[in-house]
Order: sequence, then structure tokens, then C-alpha cells
Amino acid sequence: MPQFIVYFAQYHEDFRLAELEALSKLENEATKLVRRGILVRNIIEYWGHGSTYEELFARVKENPEKWADFKTCSFKFNVEAFGRTLTQKEKVAIINTFKFLAFEGPIRMKNPDAEFIVREEYPVTNNALQAETPAMIWFGRLVGQGSRELIDKFDVKKRRYLGNTTMDAELSLVMANQALARPGTLVYDPFVGTGSFLLTCSHFGACSMGSDIDGRQIRGTAGFRLGVDGISANFEQYGVGDRVLDTAVFDICRNPWRSGPMFDAIVTDPPYGVRAGAKRLGRKDGTNPDISFKIVEGVENYKREDYYPPTIPYEMSDLVSDLLEFAAEKLVVGGRLVYWLPTVADEYDPKDIPEHPALKLVANSEQPFRSWSRRLITMEKIAPLESSHKLSTPEHNPAHKNFRDRYFS
Amino acid sequence: MRLITHNMLKCHVKNCTNPDRQFPLRFKNVQLEQVVADYNYEFLVRMLPRIDWNALLITTKELGIELPSSIPKDVEKDEAFLEALHVAIIETHVKEGSMVCLGCGHEYKITKGIPNMLLAEHEI
Repeated sequence: MPQFIVYFAQYHEDFRLAELEALSKLENEATKLVRRGILVRNIIEYWGHGSTYEELFARVKENPEKWADFKTCSFKFNVEAFGRTLTQKEKVAIINTFKFLAFEGPIRMKNPDAEFIVREEYPVTNNALQAETPAMIWFGRLVGQGSRELIDKFDVKKRRYLGNTTMDAELSLVMANQALARPGTLVYDPFVGTGSFLLTCSHFGACSMGSDIDGRQIRGTAGFRLGVDGISANFEQYGVGDRVLDTAVFDICRNPWRSGPMFDAIVTDPPYGVRAGAKRLGRKDGTNPDISFKIVEGVENYKREDYYPPTIPYEMSDLVSDLLEFAAEKLVVGGRLVYWLPTVADEYDPKDIPEHPALKLVANSEQPFRSWSRRLITMEKIAPLESSHKLSTPEHNPAHKNFRDRYFS
Repeated sequence: MRLITHNMLKCHVKNCTNPDRQFPLRFKNVQLEQVVADYNYEFLVRMLPRIDWNALLITTKELGIELPSSIPKDVEKDEAFLEALHVAIIETHVKEGSMVCLGCGHEYKITKGIPNMLLAEHEI
């Protein structure tokens, strides 16, 4: 049975396996598995490994039948070292030790038929000198590459329109993989802001929709780079306008969606209340409700074009509970909820995350900051919603309760 | 706003709960725009079961768009049907105007293709 080595990027360590598992739901062939991977550099068909080159060669020589396929085709070798920098001379010397493979085809640096990778792992040393000999050497044939180049393509600095809560490209792309965004599916973001997830999910072929209680970001009357007509500028810029179907202005707590399952994925970064005020429709006690009915210029206030209904703060643990209940109803079975949960790092407990009988927790990856962290939670709908289903919230106060106040204290 | 989205929206004003009245929302004084878009076969086929066909017929009739009265058998092979569906729900945009609820009379305005569905405080 063939074996493979997946080489990950050294970023967002806690997210890497989760992304690979999500990718494995989309592809089951090694060559295609990591194609969309953002935290994966490449995947190699395993030919051998060893703590010395002698050990490595011995293992490779156990399967000489493998070499026959590559006897005459064009090829190239890449030597990489983790934990040390190798000179060109050193690399060439290493490549020459593989002469026993007796490949006869031409060496081609660009687009060879076969690419072989030698990867040396050096032990981490405490002193300033790099270690002299590798602790482990891996060898194999490259069968697939990830898509890290997308990070630059979707760099927020390149976007025609952005706001101060726009999520960075790398994580926006990982979220699209967690959500299994793919052709034929419909993805929804109920806190769409500047549309980062509609962009990345639709890039991978999904159709998408978004809504937000604040229409100004969608319309382009707030945020940076005004005058480009809002977030549709980004969808045109990246050629996904045909698949980003619509954006609308409403409060997810008072949403106009027809009942029943309709989305393949819900992908969102809800407002934590720190920068973007997390709010919902409602009026604080003690303020005057008659304002909505006052006649201004012949029209009742609430019917005027520029009327903003009053709002109240939306507490984080209520938001998370509401989001899970919404997802349990509106996702199709097999669909995914992918959302960020802010938390106070040393108070977090896995039991903080509410549970729902129709949803299964699939992944939970932490992005640490100084005093707080946020977790990318992936849940999958595993059964149709039944009237008996009840959300179970933790008995204790979860670390994300009143997050806004904890963040500033 | 595309007709596929309109097909998924109902009136959500407090106490407006008659399903025959609150959905589909009726168009008023609308400006339409046809925008060519890539034909997305997989999406149309996968979404079809989630579309309320009777509501779509009401809406398209209101706008003067023709669609068959029922979804054909073996729809996955019926290119003509799917292409007509594509034109109706993906390429037809409502740019300006409003959506009216037959139940409570609430008007949701659409501006530059984006509907405003915020409710006034007495409606929540």
C-alpha cells in the first residue's frame, strides 16, 4: 500500500490537520488531495527515510521496481533542509549520491515529468551554530502541491474594498476549505461585513449569499476605499460575481429566510463586540419608543429612507447559541457551520462550546494572541432537525461570555 | 437582487404568520436588469429541490417571465429547462423597487440590488 508524506507550512499550526481532514472529504486521490490546501506545501509519495543516508538508501533499494517507471522520463531533484541552510554545492553533492537510481532521462528544471525531493530535518539547537548532520532524511516523489500562492492573490491590501474587520487572506481561504465550499453548493455568511468568505468560498466554486445588520459596509458607504460601490467591487475584481448571488441588510436575529434547510455551509466571523459593535435590533429600557412614529417631513420616521432602527448590544454567548440553532435548522444534512469563537485563553474549557443534537463538532483550532485567542470551530449537521432537539449550553459561564468586557479589562 | 434569493425570503414582521400571505413577497415598481452569468449546471440541479416552484411561478408571472408550470421528469437531462431556469433565477436582477407583503402590507425597499429587510421596532 503506497505511503505519502504531507509537508505542511509552519504557520497556524493548530489548523493544519483540520484542514487536511476537510480536504480528504473533497478528494481521495493523493495527487488531488492537497490541491486546495493553504497550510499544505506539498505531498510526496514515500520512497524511503533514514537517520543516515546509508539507512535511507537501504530502504529505497528495497523497492527497485518503483524506479522503472522513471528510467527514461525527464526529471529533477530538489534538496530541502529544515533547520539549516544548504549551499548549492552541498545540494549538488547530495543529489549525486542518488546516482544508483540510474535514471537515464534528461534533467529538466521546469516542468519535468517527475520531481524527486530530498528533505533533511536538522535537530533544533540552542546555540547559535547550526547542527552539522541531519537527524532524519526523507525521500520521495512529488505528487501534488498546495495552493499557498492564493494567499498573495487574495491579500487584503490588494482588494478594491475593505474594512477594519476584514479577515486576512490565509485564514479566509482555510475557512473555505473547512466549509467544503465547492461547485454546486450554497454558502451563507450572516455577518458578511466586507465579504471575505463569500470571496474565498466562491473562488472554490460555491455560490454564496451574505447579510449584515449594517448596510453601510455592504453598500460601500463606510470602510476604507470609498467610492467603489461596496463589496461588489471585490467580487468583480476576483471574477466571482456570477457566483456571489446576493447580499442583504437585516438582523440575523430577525431574519426573513423561509423555514427549512437551504444552505450547504454557514461561514462567518461574528462580531465579538471589540471593534465592530455586536448589535441586534431592540430598544434599551428607558429610551423613547415614540421616536419611531414621529412624523418628519410628512412621513412617519420609521418609513423614511434614512431611518436606522434602534439597536442593543448582542452578548457573545447569546450570539453563539443563536448561531448554532440557526445552523441546526438552516443547514442541509452534511452541511457545515464554520465560525470563530473568541475566548479568554487561560479560562477556556472545551465544554464552553454549546452542543446541539443535530450538529457534530468536527474541528476546533486555536489562533493565539496575547491575552486572548480565537478558535475556528467547524460543526457538521448530522441529522435533520427535530422539534425535540434542544441546544445545550454549559452550566458554567463560558470564557466567551461578555467577551467584550473581558477583552478590555 | 436575484430571483433565486427572493424565492428564499418571506415577510418576518411580528404576528405576520399566514404562510399564504407572507410568501412570496410581491414586487412593486421594480426596475429589472438582465446580467449574463456563467451557466452553473451543478448548482441549478442541486438547488432545484430547495426552490419553492409555485412561489417562483407567481413571481415570474408577475414580472412577465415564462417558466414551465412544473419541473420535468429527468430534469438533469433537460438542458432547455435548466437554461430557462438559469436566465430567470440567476441572470434576472431586481435593481430598484420594493417587495410587499400581502399579509401585513410592509414594504421592503431594494436599492442598487440590495434589499433592506431591517424591521422597525414595533415590528419585532
